[in-house]
Amino acid sequence: MRYHPLTCVFRIYQLIRNSLFVGIFLFIIKRNSDFWLFEYGRFVFVGAILLRLIYIIVSWFVETYEWKERAFHIKKGIFVKHSSTIPFSRIQNVTRHTTLFHKIFGLTSITFETAMDGEDDAITFHVVSKQYAAFLLDLVKVEESQVPEVEEKKETEPQVEEVKESVNRVITNRNIHFEPSKRDLFKASFTSLSFLAIIPIVTALYDLFGPLIPDSEQYEGVFYQIMNNRWVIFLLSIIAVVIAVIIGILRTFSRYGRYRISSNDTHIYIDRGLLAETHFAIEKQKIQGLEIEQTLMKRIFGLAEVKLISSASPQSEEHTVSINSLYPFLPLKRAYQLIEELLPDYHVSESMNRLTKVSMYIKLIKPSWIWIIATLGLIYFKPAIFQIDAAWWLLSLTLLVIVIVNRMLDYLHTKYLISDDQLQWWHGGLTSRMFITKRKRVVEMSYSQSMLQKFFDLVSISTMNRSTPTRIETIDDVPLDFAKTFQDWYLHRQKDTTYQQNG
Amino acid sequence: MSEQVLEYQLSPNFPKVQIISETIGNVIGFIVLVVLFWLDNYFEWPTWAFWILFGLLVFNIVGTIWGFIEPKYLYRSWRYQIDKEFLQLSYGVLKKEWTTIPMSKIQSVSTSQGPIMRKYQIRSIKVETMGSSHVIPGLEEQIASEWRAQIAELAKLKEVDE
Repeated sequence: MRYHPLTCVFRIYQLIRNSLFVGIFLFIIKRNSDFWLFEYGRFVFVGAILLRLIYIIVSWFVETYEWKERAFHIKKGIFVKHSSTIPFSRIQNVTRHTTLFHKIFGLTSITFETAMDGEDDAITFHVVSKQYAAFLLDLVKVEESQVPEVEEKKETEPQVEEVKESVNRVITNRNIHFEPSKRDLFKASFTSLSFLAIIPIVTALYDLFGPLIPDSEQYEGVFYQIMNNRWVIFLLSIIAVVIAVIIGILRTFSRYGRYRISSNDTHIYIDRGLLAETHFAIEKQKIQGLEIEQTLMKRIFGLAEVKLISSASPQSEEHTVSINSLYPFLPLKRAYQLIEELLPDYHVSESMNRLTKVSMYIKLIKPSWIWIIATLGLIYFKPAIFQIDAAWWLLSLTLLVIVIVNRMLDYLHTKYLISDDQLQWWHGGLTSRMFITKRKRVVEMSYSQSMLQKFFDLVSISTMNRSTPTRIETIDDVPLDFAKTFQDWYLHRQKDTTYQQNG
Repeated sequence: MSEQVLEYQLSPNFPKVQIISETIGNVIGFIVLVVLFWLDNYFEWPTWAFWILFGLLVFNIVGTIWGFIEPKYLYRSWRYQIDKEFLQLSYGVLKKEWTTIPMSKIQSVSTSQGPIMRKYQIRSIKVETMGSSHVIPGLEEQIASEWRAQIAELAKLKEVDE
């Protein structure tokens, strides 16, 4: 079966969007330049666009998919033929992404991701009708739960109504766990400091267009006039900040407004987006662990981000917000609650073991390679920043203070706990993280002891979880006794697992 | 739980092989450095290039000395254990490491042997999992082959929810 014909249009739209800037630059801004890079660049640009257009159209004829025996079979490639198989049972999560383009045509896109290695580990339908998306979803799901086989390769039309019903039923079965209120969103837009985004944008614009402004001398007079008038500067900065705040709020609302986290017995669903909608579903069983992340700003506001660690490889293209994030601005208590609601197997505990004083000493004594190298560099070059000759040792000192503060915070943040079949720990300095996973999800553990740690009877413990790339979590400077308890605990992991003979 | 000592050790030939191969590596390193120093002199590279080369030379000298001391202690520190459920390794001279890998997570196991190892009749075993790989560096040929077969057999069991 071929993909939806509008796939071509969608890809051309993407092509135009991605190359628009380069095009404008080459043909409008630099149209008079005969610098060789621009001169030949124009030919290369046009050639590349034409080739890409041909490729888009030809590839539509070549790329096909079908499903049989509970698997998608994909064929693609113009010169080198490529075919791959994606079994439904391997599908880990489903993302439905509706961009503005899709909205105009009343369509959507759908991606099924797996945990297989290699390039063809996901199947993306860039353009599908909403009914067909629902049909595909149902197809995969029905097969997955092994409900009596539906007849495969049947015409889709007659099933659509049925599918719609079943989709509606699924939605009503869901428990809604979180929908941000207006207040949450305002708070979020300040925490994320997204209004500061205007600063890099402005500087980037200035860097880009600064040299392009034809004759800067004629503006100089105006510039000096502005400089001379403090009130104008004051007013301008206030206006700039107000604009920045408004942009920040708008950005946050368009990204995180209409956000909904819901779940049923088997899956977790995340729906978000005002203009470009994304619907994301992941099977609970496929979640390898969870992470709560608190940056300095978020800690001040008492917020945190909850992330899912799953073995599916993240599809980076097009996703402005990482899909494995539940919600980046949850109040901490709510985050704990949410984890327990979504995954009843997990129990987040707030009373955990803390490090002893000894660990603090080692954290402070440990040589900081970053600081040593930076200081050596500074001593050698002795750069004078802002015409201050002493700047180099001030910089070195600042860096040292940051390193020490970071380590002290790490000492204060580090907490750890193992219970029956679950491990949970906090660590990290300026940005702190909580990691929580189940014993059966840990695919490897190790602990290590450096000379310094040996002196204090401390070790570092690492765990490994399946994810792409493999997730390695380390907690430093915990007592040796804990490492032994930990290893003992890990050696009993067969209590939670069932085996099957393979091969 | 007291300090747990794992069951098996490497072959006593391991330190010799290690010393020989590290020495070969370091000699090659010295040759490369000599060539670079000559180039530095001949083409009059900037001063900082000389200092970087000098740094590398110091590293290489320290490395060479360490290459003679370390193998004996590394051999003494190396222990491993293979049972029905886990492969456990512990090793390290300056920094000690203990690793525990469930058998069910092992995806492939192989043995390999370089020319020096062949002379001393030892082999190394390489075990690969989903996201990591581990090497047991020097075992008697016979033992290595036996372990390979056994690990392959034990690794057949897979956990259900994968």
